[in-house]
Amino acid sequence: MRAPLTAALCLAAAPALAGVAEVVDDHVLPATAAFAEATAVLEGAAAADCRGEALRPAYQDAFDAWLGISHLTLGPLEEDGTGLAIGFWPDARGMVGRTVARLVADEDPVARDTEGFSEVSVAGRGLFALERLLYDEAFAGYGADDYACTLAKAIAADLARMGGAVDAAWREDFAQTLKTAGAEDNSRFLDDREAAQALYTALATGLDFTAQQRLGRPMGSFEAPKPQVAEARRSDRPLRNVVLSLEALRELAMTLSDAPIPRTEAAFDRALETARTLDDPRLAGVAEPAGRLRVEALQTEIRAVTRAAAEEIAPALGVSVGFNSADGD
Amino acid sequence: MPSRRAILAGLAAAGARPALGWADAGGPSWLAAGRDASGAFLLAGLDAAGDTLFRIPLPDRGHAAAAHPHAPEAVAFARRPGRFALVIDCAAGRLVQRLDAPKGRHFYGHGAFLAGGEVLATTENEMENGEGRIGLWSRTDGYARIGEIASGGIGPHEIRALPGDVLVVANGGIRTHPDNGREKLNLDSMRPSLAYVTLAGDILDEVVLPPELHRNSIRHLAVAPDGRVAFAMQWQGDVSAPVPLLGLHRRGDAPVLAEAGLAEQIAMEGYAGSVAFARDGARVAITSPRGGRLHLFDGEGTFRAALRRGDVCGVAPSRRGLVVTDGQGGVLAVEDDALASVARAPLAWDNHLVAVGA
Repeated sequence: MRAPLTAALCLAAAPALAGVAEVVDDHVLPATAAFAEATAVLEGAAAADCRGEALRPAYQDAFDAWLGISHLTLGPLEEDGTGLAIGFWPDARGMVGRTVARLVADEDPVARDTEGFSEVSVAGRGLFALERLLYDEAFAGYGADDYACTLAKAIAADLARMGGAVDAAWREDFAQTLKTAGAEDNSRFLDDREAAQALYTALATGLDFTAQQRLGRPMGSFEAPKPQVAEARRSDRPLRNVVLSLEALRELAMTLSDAPIPRTEAAFDRALETARTLDDPRLAGVAEPAGRLRVEALQTEIRAVTRAAAEEIAPALGVSVGFNSADGD
Repeated sequence: MPSRRAILAGLAAAGARPALGWADAGGPSWLAAGRDASGAFLLAGLDAAGDTLFRIPLPDRGHAAAAHPHAPEAVAFARRPGRFALVIDCAAGRLVQRLDAPKGRHFYGHGAFLAGGEVLATTENEMENGEGRIGLWSRTDGYARIGEIASGGIGPHEIRALPGDVLVVANGGIRTHPDNGREKLNLDSMRPSLAYVTLAGDILDEVVLPPELHRNSIRHLAVAPDGRVAFAMQWQGDVSAPVPLLGLHRRGDAPVLAEAGLAEQIAMEGYAGSVAFARDGARVAITSPRGGRLHLFDGEGTFRAALRRGDVCGVAPSRRGLVVTDGQGGVLAVEDDALASVARAPLAWDNHLVAVGA
């Protein structure tokens, strides 16, 4: 009986696919550390001076760092709605604006309650709530003694807490969960292919999110473009977010794949080149036929990345997008 | 020398119909459609341990199956818009008969046995006008078409039999026409409903959603031992909208719409793929393969837990509670508000897990 048992244990303890460990060590952990650092800086900046002018640079840096991890929807960001509490977008029902307006109008004391602030609706927390305070003309320009200043401090501190918690949860827990896929006590990933599948899903979902949501939402329809719903347009970030998300996804693809992926790389480079030269930071051009055409071309190029990854990366890893999620009924 | 099963199958085919039971098919607990590693489609029987008892090839991708209440027979439905359903002898492991949708009709992918297993009911589209139909077929008479009744709405999807041969129908509300694939033709005016209909075509009861939820397609059903119905919905609006995706209903009462907190609700992506009550009716679960999670509620609709599993979709009652299947071939048990791996098959399980004898 002993021999087969040993064999089974060896199989169970086999290392995860090389790509999975590389993604964790070379892609995820540096990015979660950078986000933790950037949000800590934001908290420090707010503590020193919570007024808009002073806070905007640290806000922009923290948002940049968020784009390094926002596609990592598996693991810590999906726990307790953390991903949405950091970045509540898309916001189809205008909940961020309403929630922030309510907090300010009521001068809700929760902003002075460090512990209690994490109980505020996810729509009233994170980068998008802070964006309202810093850039929306309804709030921007508040003084050091105004409630909005206190609220900005609370949001910054909450972001720093979440940034630190996400980094710690990845580092101390979820990194191991991915790397020990298939081990007997690992109920999340039953074999190494499932771990690779989860990361590949993050790649495919991230590409789809940038094409469909970051670009697709402001594009709307030809008759009814909606530039006003572009992601973080108040802080001039719509195009920047597209570029940074593509850069992060490119890194994920490169680290996930063991083999060279020349076609995926080339497709990423084409999309990035187009995005970087778009010269339309708020994607406001979608309101005009010519501008819309250029954004649509970028969207097409991002979809080409998805196809290249599906042909080049997925088969090598033995994974695919979900059988059910891709085509349900 | 032919095996006992082959002989029995031969007798069955000849119309002798000896009284075979599900035990003759190995006693499966569940049926599920799937796709194997070579890309071939199949219907499988799973035993109580989640292991595959039998596999029967399907010519195309399956969706759901109706398990006969006692004979080891299942009717497998192709994915919508399917023009045929397959009667499968699960003891002999072979196709017995092919049911073709009548001219001008197509199947929606679900069906149910009633009248002690003598009648099969199938959800169908009357393509010319888009009205929902329930086709009735006599098993005793070799699955002859014996009639049809109105489903009480457009786009009937899942159907379940209730005691007293009442059918509960999920009218998804979405008009489609096979000429346009799955294109949705009436999103602005859709009006999904839960309808309770008799074999005579009487509509006993109808549940509709409040106007702001008229785009919430009522698609899948589960029935508790006490007759309560759970319905799972698919939102035909913005995917990030936090709309309820589970409803609970008892005839005569107002429906209860159940939801989790805001972030969890958004994470479902407006999509519930399957719904099931635990055997005792004290738990009910909906799955979202798109959100990679299952939402667990108590029998009153209070949210209990979100359980994460990539591409999870099939869910059905088990002896101890609930069991789920996923696109990675996993079979997992819901235990104490957590998922525990039970078995794995080298294939992708499709949308639904159908309990045998439930």
